[in-house]
This record gives sequence, C-alpha cells and structure tokens, in this order.
Amino acid sequence: MADAVIVVALLLVAASATAAVAARDPVRQALVLSVLGVVLAILFTVLQAPDVALSQLAVGSALTPLLLLLAVHKVRRRGRREGPRR
Amino acid sequence: MSRRFRLWLVAVGGAGLAALFTAAALDLPAFGGDHHPYGDRAVHASLSRHTANVIASVNFDQRAFDTLGEMTILFAAVIGCGALLRQTRDEHRATPEPQEVARPVRRYALLVLPVALLTGLYVIAHGQLSPGGGFQGGVVAATSLHLLYLGADYRALERVRPVALYETGDAVATSAYVVTGLAALIGGSAFLANTLLPYGTFNTLSSGGTVPLLNAAVGMEVACAVVVLLARFLDQAVEIEEGNGT
Amino acid sequence: MNGWILAAAVILAGGVGATVWGVATGPLRRRVVAQNLCTAFACPALLLLSQGYDRPSYVDLALVLALLGPVGTLVFARLLADELADDPPSAWGLTYAAAAVGALVVPAVCVAAGPSRAMAKLLFVGVLLIGGNVVASRALSGGFPEARHG
Repeated sequence: MADAVIVVALLLVAASATAAVAARDPVRQALVLSVLGVVLAILFTVLQAPDVALSQLAVGSALTPLLLLLAVHKVRRRGRREGPRR
Repeated sequence: MSRRFRLWLVAVGGAGLAALFTAAALDLPAFGGDHHPYGDRAVHASLSRHTANVIASVNFDQRAFDTLGEMTILFAAVIGCGALLRQTRDEHRATPEPQEVARPVRRYALLVLPVALLTGLYVIAHGQLSPGGGFQGGVVAATSLHLLYLGADYRALERVRPVALYETGDAVATSAYVVTGLAALIGGSAFLANTLLPYGTFNTLSSGGTVPLLNAAVGMEVACAVVVLLARFLDQAVEIEEGNGT
Repeated sequence: MNGWILAAAVILAGGVGATVWGVATGPLRRRVVAQNLCTAFACPALLLLSQGYDRPSYVDLALVLALLGPVGTLVFARLLADELADDPPSAWGLTYAAAAVGALVVPAVCVAAGPSRAMAKLLFVGVLLIGGNVVASRALSGGFPEARHG
C-alpha cells in the first residue's frame, strides 16, 4: 500500500516514455518529452532522490524543448526558403 | 547487409541483452531494503566533514575527480557545438524582425526573470545543505536569461549577453575547479582532497570545506556553458541565413 | 502511507495521468494545453509529497518547477506561434480547474507548516504556480500575435 505512489509514478513514466518514442513529428516529440521530464522528476522524488529530480526538472522543463524547437525552427526556415525554387 | 540479416542481428543482440538484464535483475537486493553498505559509508564520510547534503559530499568531495571529468565533458561538448554551429563563409546574418508579445506575457517574463535568476543562485549556494547544487542552479540561472528572448525580443537578450564574456567565464570556472584541486596538492595531500579549509559549523552556508568552492565553480561553468550553447543555437535559428546558394 | 502521499498519488494518477494522455494523442493545439496543465498538476503533487515525507527541503523542487514549467510552455507558445495562430488553443476551464487544485493544496500545506519562513516560501511557490499557469495559458491563446519569423 505504501508503494502505491511509486507504482503510479512508474506507470506514468512508462506511458509517457512509450509515447515519446512513438511520436514521429519532432515538435510533438518535444511536447511529450517535456511532460516525460516532469513525470521522471516525480519518480525520482518518490524514490527519495531529490538531487536527480532537480537536475531533471532544470534540464527537461525548459532547456531541452528550447534546444529542440530552435533546431526545428532552423530546419523549417531553410525549407521555406528553398521550397518555392524546387 | 541485407534487411533480413540486420533483423537477425538485432534479434540476437536484443535477446542476449535481455538475458543478461534478467540475470542481473534476479541478483539485485530486494527493492527498498535497509542494507546499504556504500550508502552508510558515504553518509558517515559526509557527516565527518560537516556536509549536510550527502549527495554534494559525494559529488564534490568523495568523488570530486569524477565531477571534474563530467565538467570537462560539458566544456568539450560546448566547444564542439560552437565549432559545428559557427557562421560559415556562405552564410550571412540577417537582423530578425521584432516579435510582438501580448502585454501580460511580457510583464510576466520581465517579472520572473530576476526571480528565476535569484532561485538559480540560491540553488547553487545551498548545494551543500539542501537538494541542488552547481549543475541544477547553473541551468536555472542560464535559462532565466532567455526569458528575455521568450517574453521580449531577441535583441534585448543580445544586449545582456556578451557571448565572449560567458565563454571566458566558462573557461575560468573550469580552471578554478582544477586550481582548487591543485591547491590541495600543494597543501600536502592528494589532488582535490578536501583538507584545505576548515569544515565549519554543520548545516551553515560555509560548512563542508572545499565543497562550496567546487560547487560554485561548477555552477558558474554550467551557467556559462548553457548560455554559450543556447547562443549558438539562437544564432543559427534566428539570425544566420544561408547565402543565396550558387 | 499518510494522507498527504495518498492525495499526491490521486493528483498524479488523475491530473498528471490525464495530461500524459492529452499530450500523447490528438492535434497539436490539444497537446500544448496538456503540456501546460502537466506543470499545474505536478507542482501541487510535489508540495504534497514534500509534506508527506516531512522533508521541507523538497519544496525547492516545486519552486523550480513552478518557475520553469511555465517558461517551457512559453517556449512552445513562442516558437509554435505560426502553427497555433490559425486556431489558438484556449482552455480556460481546464486552466482554472488546475489553478484550483493548486489553490487548494497550497493553503493545506501552509496550515501544516504553521506560520514560519517555510510558509512564506510555500505561499511564494503557490503565487508563482498559479500566476505562471494563467500567463502560460494566455500565451498559448494568442500571446504572440502577428507571428513573424523572429
């Protein structure tokens, strides 16, 4: 019974990690990845590893989505410039 | 390599990995037991050096050399990114047009920026006392600066972010870590040994000997490295345009 | 297992579980709303866990999430402004429901903490959480008008 919250956190991680792998579009993947980061941080917290959870929150909530979306932005902008010429 | 052969290769490799994992998992101690030989020793060593957060003691005292390695990896990775994402000869810079931002969003960004910066510094400073430390705080502080890009304008961010200064800060912080380690060597003990400073009063900001110093060095290194890394990405995404390819 | 941890488990299973479902399926506008709500549900859960384990220093986790979660949503709102411009996602009902969860949890943990510096910190986290959540929703529903490519 005392482990119920750990089971819930594990199930959430399994679900969101599977969704992150299954998403094909990088933008959607970035969205799932940011939720996965939060859920992982909760898992680390219930396993009494707050330092790791804090690292995960710091990196996963804003930095990773920003890096991913900037890369997507650059690729799309290049596509827009080259598109009409083809 | 044919498709079929590759599938076989993956299946055989995957089966081997699964078998090894299963064998390893069967031999693990039970989940949540109370027998922790390494943990007990780490806690004892940490308390004997007046460091309240055992994780900080493991990172910056007992295994400070490992942290030096991790820090160097980040340093090298940022240099590598800088080299890959530099402006090449056939690219030119275009000034990005300013983005309109709804007023509540702009206000929120400008209000939260100092709060987040302060929180980052707080997390770094309390690394030896509560969860957190140089890495976590450094990332929070570096992210907070980019609220200027999100909530205001790219050019506003560029004004508070002279990249060269952060590159220097990155290098200085990495050297500071090594110098603190060498100082222990000169003081007559091992590289990065925590014997240099008095251990202080337990659970105060100045406790833990060299732990707060190394922690601050890592905090500065990570904050500068993340700012430089994001600067390279932002340059590519916002400013640099490819030449009218010939 | 005490009541605090049970409450956290319920919020995790109900609130965060729903946002995982929301972010994994459906059109883009639904996914960004789910990503925003994830912070709004996870942060109260972290506060409850901190109280349940009786470790005040775990509040730092909720503080960092309350600060950076909305920043993450701003990242999506700003860089996906083009895609979201045609049909801006506005889910004010859900936003206020999530804010209500925060507004219920924060006073509860404040009462448990008693008047002290810890309580001031909890209130600060609550203000950041609810303010950030509402502003992030505002940013999604047309916070970056005239999306140019800047």
